[in-house]
Amino acid sequence: MHLFDFPDRLSPMLVKELRQGMRTKAFVGVFLALQIILGVILLSAGAAASSDDAGSTISNIIFIFFSIAVLIIQPMRGITSLSSEVKGNTIDMMVLTRLSAWRIVTGKWASIVSQSALLLVTIIPYLILRYFFGGMNLIGEIVFLAVLFLSSAALTAVTVGLSASSSVILRSVLPMIALPIGAYSLLMALMFGAFGGGSMSTFFSLATDESRIFTSVYLAACTYYGFFMLSTGTSLIAPYAENHSTLRRLISLAVAITAAVLGSMSFTDADALPFFMTVVLLPVFAISLSEFAPLAAPTYRKFAKHGAPGQLAGLFLFPGWASGFFFCLVLTAIAAVPFLVNRPSYGGNDSFIYGLACLAGLLFPAVIINLFRVNGPQRVSNYVLLLLASIVLSTVLSGITSSLSNEDLLWLFCWLPPVLMFLEEAGGNSDEVLVASFVMCAIYIGTLLLRAVHSYRKSIIEIRAHSDTE
Amino acid sequence: MSNSAITVHNLYRFFGPLQAVNGVSFEIPHGSVCGFVGANGAGKTTTMRILASLDYPTMGHAEICGINVTHHPAEVRRLIGWMPDHFGNYDNMTVLEYLDFYARALGYKGAERRQRIDEVMDFTDLVPLADRFSNKLSKGMTQRLCLGRSLLHDPQVLIMDEPAAGLDPKARVELKHLIRVLAKEGKTIFISSHILSELGEMCDSLLFINNGRIVHHGDSESLKKSTDILGGVLYDVQLDGDPQALSDWAVLQPNIEFLESRKNGGRIRIDTEDPNKAADVLARMVKDNLRVVDFHREQRNLEDAFIDILANLEKNQPAFATPPPLPSQASLLPQEPPYDP
Repeated sequence: MHLFDFPDRLSPMLVKELRQGMRTKAFVGVFLALQIILGVILLSAGAAASSDDAGSTISNIIFIFFSIAVLIIQPMRGITSLSSEVKGNTIDMMVLTRLSAWRIVTGKWASIVSQSALLLVTIIPYLILRYFFGGMNLIGEIVFLAVLFLSSAALTAVTVGLSASSSVILRSVLPMIALPIGAYSLLMALMFGAFGGGSMSTFFSLATDESRIFTSVYLAACTYYGFFMLSTGTSLIAPYAENHSTLRRLISLAVAITAAVLGSMSFTDADALPFFMTVVLLPVFAISLSEFAPLAAPTYRKFAKHGAPGQLAGLFLFPGWASGFFFCLVLTAIAAVPFLVNRPSYGGNDSFIYGLACLAGLLFPAVIINLFRVNGPQRVSNYVLLLLASIVLSTVLSGITSSLSNEDLLWLFCWLPPVLMFLEEAGGNSDEVLVASFVMCAIYIGTLLLRAVHSYRKSIIEIRAHSDTE
Repeated sequence: MSNSAITVHNLYRFFGPLQAVNGVSFEIPHGSVCGFVGANGAGKTTTMRILASLDYPTMGHAEICGINVTHHPAEVRRLIGWMPDHFGNYDNMTVLEYLDFYARALGYKGAERRQRIDEVMDFTDLVPLADRFSNKLSKGMTQRLCLGRSLLHDPQVLIMDEPAAGLDPKARVELKHLIRVLAKEGKTIFISSHILSELGEMCDSLLFINNGRIVHHGDSESLKKSTDILGGVLYDVQLDGDPQALSDWAVLQPNIEFLESRKNGGRIRIDTEDPNKAADVLARMVKDNLRVVDFHREQRNLEDAFIDILANLEKNQPAFATPPPLPSQASLLPQEPPYDP
């Protein structure tokens, strides 16, 4: 076998991206800067060797610089990964090879993650040297490094997935704001001690049930969100006839069922459950309710050949926002289960108001983009921006209301779903807020239902007309 | 195997209210070179993208070598080579690495991959550029690289969208030469271009498309004849002196039409093929003090044919082909803009 044939065993996309990526100034700069900084730190640490906490201080500094590299700089390199291919019209040329859209996206992602792994490998010698300064929590630091690395992989999946969007705000501005804020929060937790006052490495030592459960759930969440964002990016660059929505929705369905089971068993806190379910369902709602993929004949045929059951499944699993809405109704029903199971233990209306407000909050942007047909091609970004705008506007209204000590203003804006939560928090009449939440949900669901039925019927008629002409 | 390399039947592609492709039907036999001509926005690129399985028809169907492009896109992709009208090159990647990537992506491994790359680099004369970064190449070199990429899997059908656009004359000649060689090897080539004279030289047949409809399909000679509704003969006239004098003179003459200005004169049409009449016209020019230094007959070219076709269409006189009627199902079609993430 030829020496240069080793890369034959790897994905062509990974080989290409590594060839390009390892030559970029961003990677070379980060690599060299990290080595120089860590080298200087270890040399200067010799002076502090007598200090009892010199070892943990060195660990923290290493983790901080490593975090900046893998949680901010490396994921940010994903911002242009697919958009540059789309702009350069090279996606088409790749799609015409044996590379599927999924392999293109995952190849891009794997390349950046591989380079992050290379950075991870290069800090290991420093951590070994740091061992001699004492006070090392070996398991905690290894698990924490793994958590940082997986977080980096998930964040990279987010930026790579979003980079296929035509919206500059969604693919660039939001990640550039969100990544530093997220990483800063994590670093603050690292520096000042979080999770009960202990350090991160202590927390991640897996010594307690809380540590083990949190770490497991966190890793599962990173995997799910990472997959979801890569799948979304795949949908955005794939040819029309390829259907990536169905698998994504089926996996989201499994995750929603798992979350509902966990929620039914473990959430005794009435306020936490709605937010837990919202965090789980937010990505699938955002994509399903704004998906603009047309229904292509090959996709339709795959469902139609199974007769009535296939057609029924297609109602929820065809690409496009109309079937996405029906699918979201199913997810809503699943998410309602833990509320109903735990109802006896929840005293007031809080959890139901929060639950309904969260549901209405997820539906509200979809109602706006469907009623006003805001920029068809940029529906996903419009959905996300409207969602953020509704939260920001509601927060501002809440601040104004609290300074005026008068909640009437909030009632004027009760059609903005987050306002319903602020109304509840402001001590409004709980029954009235509950009724308002029900009414808003009913209006939004009804509006979307009418539009979705119309859109779905039109797409089915269209696809049958197309089949007739062949 | 189908008799035709490319078959398109009643193809429609709508983007909301825009009917980009509007009932297009044609066939291109194996081993032929077909030019695809139309103004910007006429539907050329959309039709080619559907044939390349990159877009999806609203209605109708298209086949490559008898394989339906929408039903079996993966099979079709093995049969076609695609050159888009514009594309970017990769940063930090050499010409050799560029071809190596696509060869890997096409499934070639080891020695077979290296052999394919060598063959393609040799054919497209890219060997001296092997270590150059692909984003530092000239437009002509980039087109050769793109052609090399599209030939890596030895496709039966080449679909080339405006491959000569933006090329300097030398690069155009090189590209034309490569296309001729490929045609001799028996590949079916479907090529769009605005440079009609070059298409005429290269192509066995020409397809004219306007507003999403095919308005002519035939070889270049039949095209020139069939579109020559006005008849007559074209002459190039060169003057010693003010070239404007020719147009001023022609306006006053019966049976003579001034077609276009040229550097030292212009191009006229005399409405008869009788050479004596041409001699009379020349004599009148001299008599009217036009200092004629050159007066020679010109062949009707493809630009003339194309302009005549468009002029006829503007007059709502589709003389060459009647496009198929819009199916009744069209009323059911979506009015949404295309999916563009």
